[in-house]
Amino acid sequence: MNRLVRVELLKLRTMRVTYGLLGVSIAITAFFASLQASGAGRAVAPLSTAAGLGDVTTAGGVAMILAAVLGVIVTSGEFRHTSATLTYLATPNRRKVLGAKAIATALVGACYGVAAWIVATAVGLIFVASHGDHVTLGAGALIGHVVGAGVGGALLAALGVAVGSLVRAQLAGVIGVFVWCLVIESVIGANFTAVRPYLPYTAATTLGGAKLGAAAFGPGFTVTAQEALPFLAAAAIVVAIDAAVALLAERTTVRHDIT
Amino acid sequence: MATLELNQLTKHFGPVVAVDQVTFSVEQGTVVGFLGPNGAGKTTTLRMLLGLVTPTGGTATINGRPYRDLAEPRHVVGATLEASNPYPGRTAVDHLRIEALAGDAPRARVDEVLDLVDLTEAAGRRVGQYSLGMRQRLGLATALLCDPEILILDEPANGLDPEGVHWLRRLLRHLATEGRTVLVSSHILAEVAQTVDSVVIMDHGRLVSQATLAELTERAAQGIRVRTPRPEQLATLLAENGAAAYVVGPDRLEVTGASGELIGTLAAEAAIPIFETTAETADLEDIFLQLTGNPAEKEAIR
Repeated sequence: MNRLVRVELLKLRTMRVTYGLLGVSIAITAFFASLQASGAGRAVAPLSTAAGLGDVTTAGGVAMILAAVLGVIVTSGEFRHTSATLTYLATPNRRKVLGAKAIATALVGACYGVAAWIVATAVGLIFVASHGDHVTLGAGALIGHVVGAGVGGALLAALGVAVGSLVRAQLAGVIGVFVWCLVIESVIGANFTAVRPYLPYTAATTLGGAKLGAAAFGPGFTVTAQEALPFLAAAAIVVAIDAAVALLAERTTVRHDIT
Repeated sequence: MATLELNQLTKHFGPVVAVDQVTFSVEQGTVVGFLGPNGAGKTTTLRMLLGLVTPTGGTATINGRPYRDLAEPRHVVGATLEASNPYPGRTAVDHLRIEALAGDAPRARVDEVLDLVDLTEAAGRRVGQYSLGMRQRLGLATALLCDPEILILDEPANGLDPEGVHWLRRLLRHLATEGRTVLVSSHILAEVAQTVDSVVIMDHGRLVSQATLAELTERAAQGIRVRTPRPEQLATLLAENGAAAYVVGPDRLEVTGASGELIGTLAAEAAIPIFETTAETADLEDIFLQLTGNPAEKEAIR
């Protein structure tokens, strides 16, 4: 299994899309964090407060979406480019291949989350310094958020791997990830607030310290006083969703003929 | 025990019977041509043999075991299949590094196989920029990476220019001299006829022939054309001895079912002069086309 994970990591290292999505996630995170920081004190809490600074330093939700997109590309791309044949000739045990892809992509997804959170934190601290404010979030909290973002990115990347294996059609998988994260979770989150903490993208962003709804878009972007799930519970929820989708993929599409 | 053994192998895709109870075996150290027109079911058969497609019925084993049960399959079997390509955004050398790691082959093998297929200079280029012929060579490099004892090559000559086809023949001969077992598919007999020991021919999902080239050539013998001033008399004589003889000209007849020796002996006993005898044979390509029932193509070739 160790060798298989190394193979999948080498595949990721030699794909331009890995670096492209990382660059895009960093750029968009920097943009949203700057937007959030520049609006602080007006519609949202000022940067001089822990809540205001936290909104900026956790503005990397897009990195988690792109981690999931990477996961979809990793598995569905094998069918799109017909490289699945070579993969399964080398390793006929498809369950092991799926597992290795999930682990390797999760490691890269963790890097996406960590990188985005570091960028958002840097933007927040730069704005705080430029305003002459005190940093109201301790180093421990900031580091905790970065680590949590790594966990969230890893779990969503692994989820993307399972989704890509299930869907196989790359474009449909990628669009599906965006629609789920940007539209469906926002709509569900806005209308059924009790369910909101259990939604995978929302739960993953709360692992990085984001408030419920803060990483949502459209109608879902309504930060409320509702508490996110505790870290371990949120992580367990996303792990359970990962496992469920992976099991479904393993039972259905993974066994399909490679033609 | 045969190296490759297919027994009653069958595959249905919905109502379509792609492969219908195909049974054949390939002995160790032989080079076998796996022939049939496009759509005959060759690739599906090979994919079942390699564990990529689940058979509807029958079994396919390599050294007595299904491909999926081989511990290090790449060390046992190297394969190139149609419609399987490396990720196009990756360089050839990176692709081979990945395959080497997956197959537990030493890193040095990457350079060796690149040199073997003459792709060293293009190794740093992305596979998406490769021509079809270059991708075929890269596929062969991938198949040879772990130095397997068995090679399964699906239409390896597709996309190769005449020089490439010549190179492929030399490579196959070289692999054969090393004692490897090779199953090479093609829809053109001439591509592999100079290299293979025997052929397996498929058509419409069914196996229509498994024979050595010598046997196939023997089958190709169609008859003997005889020039004699008394064709009717000789034809009657041959018919009395169980042969079929037809007068096809004022001094000619065509004979089947009798050897040249028998014709000569009967003619000598009856004091019938014979000016000339010519054995008529169809070439291997004709036999292949007859077996695969493609009269239009046969006519075009003629």
